[in-house]
Amino acid sequence: MTSPSRMNGASPTVLIVAVVILFLLVGAAVLAVGGNLVRLAESFYPPAGVTSEGKEIRALYDLVFIFAAVIFFLVEGLIVWTVIRYRRKPGQDELPPQTHGNNLLEIIWTVVPAAIVGLLFLFSVQTLGTVDALSDDPAVKIRAVASRFAWQFDYLDESGNSLFTAYSPMVVPVGQKVQMSLRSPDVIHAFYVPQFLFKRDVVPGRDNRFDFTVDPADVGQTFRGQCAELCGTGHWTMVFEVKAVSAAEYATWRQEQIDAAQATPPPSAPPAALDLNLAAKDVKFSTLSLEVPANTPFSITFGNQDEGVPHNVDIYAGPDTSGSRVFDGGVPFEGKEVVIYRIQPLPAGAYTFNCRAHPIPAMTGTLTVK
Amino acid sequence: MATTTLHPPIAQPYRRSALYEWITTTDHKKIGILYFINSFVFFFIGGLLALGVRAELAQPGLQFVNEDLYNQFFTIHASAMLFLFIIPIGAAFGNYVVPLMVGAPDMAFPRINALSFWMLPAAGILMMGGFLAVGGAAAEGWTSYPPLAGPAYSGTGTDLWLMAVTLIGTSSILTAINFLVTIFKMRAPGLTLFRLPIMVWTQIVTSVLTLLATPVLASALIMQFIDRNYGGNYFDPGNGGSVVLWQNVFWFYSHPAVYIMILPFMGIISEVLPVFSRKPLFGYRAFVFATVAIGALGFSVWAHHMFTTGQVFLPFFALFTFLIAVPTGVKMFNWIATLWRGQLVLKTPLLFAIGFLTMFLIGGLNGAFAAAVPVDFAIHDTYYVVAHLHYVLFGGSVFGVMAGIYYWFPKMTGRMLDETVGKIHWLLMFIGFNLAFFPQHQLGLVGMPRRIADYAADAGWGDLNLVSTVGAFLIAASTLPFLWNIFASLRAGEVAGDDPWEGNTLEWATSSPPPPYNFDHLPEIHSTRPVFDLRHGADAGSTH
Repeated sequence: MTSPSRMNGASPTVLIVAVVILFLLVGAAVLAVGGNLVRLAESFYPPAGVTSEGKEIRALYDLVFIFAAVIFFLVEGLIVWTVIRYRRKPGQDELPPQTHGNNLLEIIWTVVPAAIVGLLFLFSVQTLGTVDALSDDPAVKIRAVASRFAWQFDYLDESGNSLFTAYSPMVVPVGQKVQMSLRSPDVIHAFYVPQFLFKRDVVPGRDNRFDFTVDPADVGQTFRGQCAELCGTGHWTMVFEVKAVSAAEYATWRQEQIDAAQATPPPSAPPAALDLNLAAKDVKFSTLSLEVPANTPFSITFGNQDEGVPHNVDIYAGPDTSGSRVFDGGVPFEGKEVVIYRIQPLPAGAYTFNCRAHPIPAMTGTLTVK
Repeated sequence: MATTTLHPPIAQPYRRSALYEWITTTDHKKIGILYFINSFVFFFIGGLLALGVRAELAQPGLQFVNEDLYNQFFTIHASAMLFLFIIPIGAAFGNYVVPLMVGAPDMAFPRINALSFWMLPAAGILMMGGFLAVGGAAAEGWTSYPPLAGPAYSGTGTDLWLMAVTLIGTSSILTAINFLVTIFKMRAPGLTLFRLPIMVWTQIVTSVLTLLATPVLASALIMQFIDRNYGGNYFDPGNGGSVVLWQNVFWFYSHPAVYIMILPFMGIISEVLPVFSRKPLFGYRAFVFATVAIGALGFSVWAHHMFTTGQVFLPFFALFTFLIAVPTGVKMFNWIATLWRGQLVLKTPLLFAIGFLTMFLIGGLNGAFAAAVPVDFAIHDTYYVVAHLHYVLFGGSVFGVMAGIYYWFPKMTGRMLDETVGKIHWLLMFIGFNLAFFPQHQLGLVGMPRRIADYAADAGWGDLNLVSTVGAFLIAASTLPFLWNIFASLRAGEVAGDDPWEGNTLEWATSSPPPPYNFDHLPEIHSTRPVFDLRHGADAGSTH
């Protein structure tokens, strides 16, 4: 405490260099988000949560974050300050005081952290009680069937029978309790929607369930979802979307799906005079661009070469799949199999074809009609 | 008959080639050095695989490897880093240092010690051999979850992986017994349990964890091998098995294994901080109790890896996961109190130790988020967890490894490592590490799952992934000054002398490197710091 601190050879240089470089790093991070500090701060938080359960989880995250941030700055600051303050100065040949410990301090830094984690535990259990609760009477029951490498969503009636099967997007009404049950015929997958702040494993041989209610404020929004448990080579391709619609819109959509499911599927017809070849292998289309003349009937001979993986081909008007579906390829079928799709004449323009089970770039192509 | 003079035969050293000498040695110091070399070989292989993973993820699109090879890369990266680098290098330090620290001439069972070591390169060759097998190496992640790792979905590489890990487990069990017997039966006179260096205490607890948990892993590995090859159905839900059973048994080992992977390095830090702050360790007994508490609590938290399976009694495992933060916090505060009012000599070992403190703190705090079960529902199996585990195992363990290497290299070789090159190594590694792993928190929070080979271009994950990849290559670059430092020092390094750092513990009371059987004579032992007492007198600088 008596001697003024003086520089001591090369060691402080390294510290100064380290501090300067850390500042540069922080500066680079700020630049990386376009100098937008709000965006930088937000990147330390998960999404706000679009379900009532997700909002609870986000609130718990914020609470833990406060404790973690305060402890981080206190302890990290203490370390850095101690290292800078107590560097050995030239001429310090006497040993510093040889303190061996202090029981009061030991008790304090045992009891205080124990109290903090005890508190966090209680808050966690409280939140867990609400986000993990299962309703006896959900408004919508959906069974997600995850298989390598596709999601399918069976909408169930009261007694659990499948009414119809949908592929991505999974359409749900806002403001109503949806109960998911999860099935896998092969390996473990996980149902994960980041904006729900939630995931649950899809475990073969088990029936995992969870409830969620999408906030009415998020009506019309689409949320990305993805398999979160390694399931093999196509793991990253197991993406899906959840679309939140109003209760009325949902009811209409549901009825359409039920009607479509009851209609008899068109028989596989012989190929038209104009036939295109398309194959799916390793969850990729063999080509991502097709071209046909306008106002001419044509067919696509589609070979699914992925054993056990469902694929199909749907065609949408416009440059992406948000346009209206001009051709419905029907329920995706598992390989290896070949199906011939007969397609009615299309007016000139840009169309998009994709696999319903795999809304990913490798299975989304452009069909040019001219 | 003339009188005959008896000439007792003089023991002559039998001349053997250096290679033969190293292959057949039972000297704990040579075996220790073999452990170090073997561990670093797999550290570099695992590192190259990590670079492959990071290169692939830098931008959306599959540029370098296909999905299949990608899955093999991250599986073998993790397996090599955990089973062939971080666990064995803990045993490397233990092998070299523990007999010296307890004043013993060697390990209790020198030949078993050699056997434990030689299993490791064999296991490493088996595991890497997967890359040459039909269908490639194991690709199910280091956790090898069935059914993906079952017979229907994975090939020969997985069988090789199972054999390799079983062999490594056997090696660990033998080493653990060896350490325990050495420490309990071969201590120098006066070296009571409560005078043992914390480094030795951490080896005791690590060995007990190994001894209790590794047989459980071995049973799981053998069950999976039977499932795969002889129709066992242990983990096949179609035939009465359970896929979650594997996770329970696997994590019953693999969570305590996390402490097997961190405790020895906490031990190293607990040796380095007192020496370089010229003070005794603050709260020695608290350290002992905290180490034992971490070991004990470590057995009641395994299912926190399984919160999202829906098959776990969540509050129990949440409570114990939170509780384990308490003894860990006690250690952190005692380390800082050790530095407090010391005279810090900012040499490379201390810099790496400070790196450990600052980074392990982050690894502890971000772990608290995962302990809060509902928050874990959001971050489980995302890059957040990847960030967390690397802050613990790289920010913690690897910084501890480096602190230990720079600290004991003079003892092992008799030569100093260069300080300037060492500081460059530290700085590059520190920056590279944070660049590589800090952005992964943010990636995980916005929803990037781990173990994906690719992601959509419009997911918005490209920039942070690029930063992470740059960091990973910077870490790789930091190994160049490290290797150069070792090479240059072995060629023409400054001669170290017996005790270059003014050490506290018995290894500094013998020559550098120590002779076979270690000690000509031992100092009297009255405290945890016999060599300090020898240098300064028993009550030097003591305030109370």
